[in-house]
Amino acid sequence: MTKSRSRRITAIIRYTVLTIWAIVAFFPIYWMISTSFKIDTQWFAWPPVYFPDPPTLSNYLNVWLGAQEYASTQYAISSQTPLVSLLNSTIIATTSTLLAVVFGAVIAYGVSRYKILSEARMFQLLMLRMIPPIVVVAPLSLYYSALGLLDTMFGLILIYFLTNLPYAVWMTKSFIDEVPREIEQAAEILGASRWRTIFEVVLPLIRSGLVATFLFILILTWSEYLLALILSKTNVATLPVELSKYQGTTEGKVYGRQAALAVGITVPLMIVGLIIRKHLARGFSFGMVRR
Amino acid sequence: MARIELCDLNKSFGSVRAVKDINITIEDGEFVVFVGPSGCGKTTTLRMIAGFEDPTSGEIRIDGRIVNDLEPRDRGLGMVFQSHALFPHKSIAQNIEFGLRMKDVPAPERIQRVREVAEMMHITHLLDKMPAQCSGGESQRVALARTLVTNPSTFLLDEPLSSLDAKLRRELRAECGRLQEELKRTFIFVTHDQEEAMTLADRIVVMRSGEIEQVGSPMDIYSEPISYFVADFFGSPSMNLVAGEVVGDTDVVRFRSTHFDFALPEHFKKSKRGAATFGIRPEHVGVAFGGKGEIELPVRLVEPLGKDTLLYFDDGTERAFIAVSEGLEMADVKSGARITLSFDPRRLYLFDADGRRIGAATQF
Ligand SMILES: Nc1ncnc2c1ncn2[C@@H]1O[C@H](COP(=O)(O)OP(=O)(O)OP(=O)(O)O)[C@@H](O)[C@H]1O
Ligand SMILES: [Mg+2]
Repeated sequence: MTKSRSRRITAIIRYTVLTIWAIVAFFPIYWMISTSFKIDTQWFAWPPVYFPDPPTLSNYLNVWLGAQEYASTQYAISSQTPLVSLLNSTIIATTSTLLAVVFGAVIAYGVSRYKILSEARMFQLLMLRMIPPIVVVAPLSLYYSALGLLDTMFGLILIYFLTNLPYAVWMTKSFIDEVPREIEQAAEILGASRWRTIFEVVLPLIRSGLVATFLFILILTWSEYLLALILSKTNVATLPVELSKYQGTTEGKVYGRQAALAVGITVPLMIVGLIIRKHLARGFSFGMVRR
Repeated sequence: MARIELCDLNKSFGSVRAVKDINITIEDGEFVVFVGPSGCGKTTTLRMIAGFEDPTSGEIRIDGRIVNDLEPRDRGLGMVFQSHALFPHKSIAQNIEFGLRMKDVPAPERIQRVREVAEMMHITHLLDKMPAQCSGGESQRVALARTLVTNPSTFLLDEPLSSLDAKLRRELRAECGRLQEELKRTFIFVTHDQEEAMTLADRIVVMRSGEIEQVGSPMDIYSEPISYFVADFFGSPSMNLVAGEVVGDTDVVRFRSTHFDFALPEHFKKSKRGAATFGIRPEHVGVAFGGKGEIELPVRLVEPLGKDTLLYFDDGTERAFIAVSEGLEMADVKSGARITLSFDPRRLYLFDADGRRIGAATQF
């Protein structure tokens, strides 16, 4: 077999696999978007309806604005408006993620430069995060009720901050490891204190990495369901909790409404991703950054 | 003002003894060059002076004050790193300004000082660029400027030129020399390039596996090397070194090896007999057709360089025996021709089996 032919075959195989993967990965997303624009008769239609006809905004108006004229009795959902949940989710996710990244970076600095934690300790830290949340959620809810943290915004921020801190430490440490010692030492001998070196030299240098870490943890927090479900009741329901209320309620399966809500949950993350995409490419390939 | 004293300085990394019992005083305003092969502890010594490494034992004094426990930023030193270590996210102007900002110098004065230093280093056109847009030579100038602006008492330079090409190196080398003359500051310069050491230094410190081998002016080091190691390290082309033995009774003393057998000058009479290495620099080997001399060798290769001609002789070893002849007199010699060589008796060195110099001719 000639070289160019074998290369063609490899290319064909590669693109076939990638195409299949892309279809598998994107179809649910397509289905979600498509369903959100369907009228109620097409939600369960068989054969399936691929393109909403006619497309309608009623699902969005009903779910997000609680527009009464669209709240046909059959599908009325008796819960708070999702805009409040959106606000809750935004505050909880961004605050806890920001805290995790900032504290994580500072701890990671200590680990990278002063070895405040050994390799084994670092690994144990990550192991902690690998415990399935369902295992600890029951005792946790007992603590929370005793401490009065149940169904409070602070309680959720705290638990997300704590559970994501290990990720933040691990990820930011790998970026800090890449910063040459000499650059820090140059700052030091030019008169910078340790903190000024961290905030003026190290953190700006790894900002792409920080942004990547931020997005990674934001996604985890934004879509976290179990802890939010158990540790909140009604005051601070987050979007995933809100979304679940559309499933298996007495009103039946309201797919169109649910899809409209799901799109609304996905879009903010996509916007964040788009805004910081320049950093993402660099952040996830930090090792290749020119020194 | 800065007089730097290193007293019994030691540094170990685990079981590796990187620096062993270093003792030296560097006077104020002196240009001292630490030189030695890779891994001999130059950087470690410099980093201990800067405060980035804690000595395992020993003392560092600056102007008589022990600074072992002082943070790098409180030692009043400036350092230029081999990798330049510019801040990649700051413009050149911000890089230079950094040290002033850390010392809370007010903004108008900072701008003024940055401009002055940039002019001094000929980098005003770079001020708005980012480090990634600068060439190696430009980066090095910026690194010097960044240190210069803080007005340190001493400049520590760790192989600042090693990443540059030959021409730039010479250019920046001259710049370093000029800078030191203008500023009259103490300079401690680390390099493994003997030529850099010879041209820049007031005093050279030759290091070898963590120890100081010899300290002296470039001329001392060149003409009175205390050991085989130093003799071999300095000079280009390097010194001819031939292994053999010193033989003879009380009256005559000769050097003998497979290809050499000649009478040594008078002052070696009392030297120890036995295994030894004979050394002579290429420019101290006299060449003539026929005539008087110590030995006759066949020419292997002739290399006319214009001002001088290099003659490579076959002495039975891998490393040719080299002689430098002035002008092009010898340029037409064919390889294989036998030429008589004479050795300047005052410039002839012997090293014992341990590489120590025998019968150092201090009387000359
Ligand atoms: N941080 C360290 N940990 C362990 N060993 C080290 C460390 N730094 C230096 N060494 C060892 O100490 C010895 C001296 O190193 P040093 O960097 O001072 O050499 P150098 O003279 O600067 O060499 P070069 O010309 O290659 O820069 C070497 O054997 C090196 O391996
Ligand atoms: Mg070094």
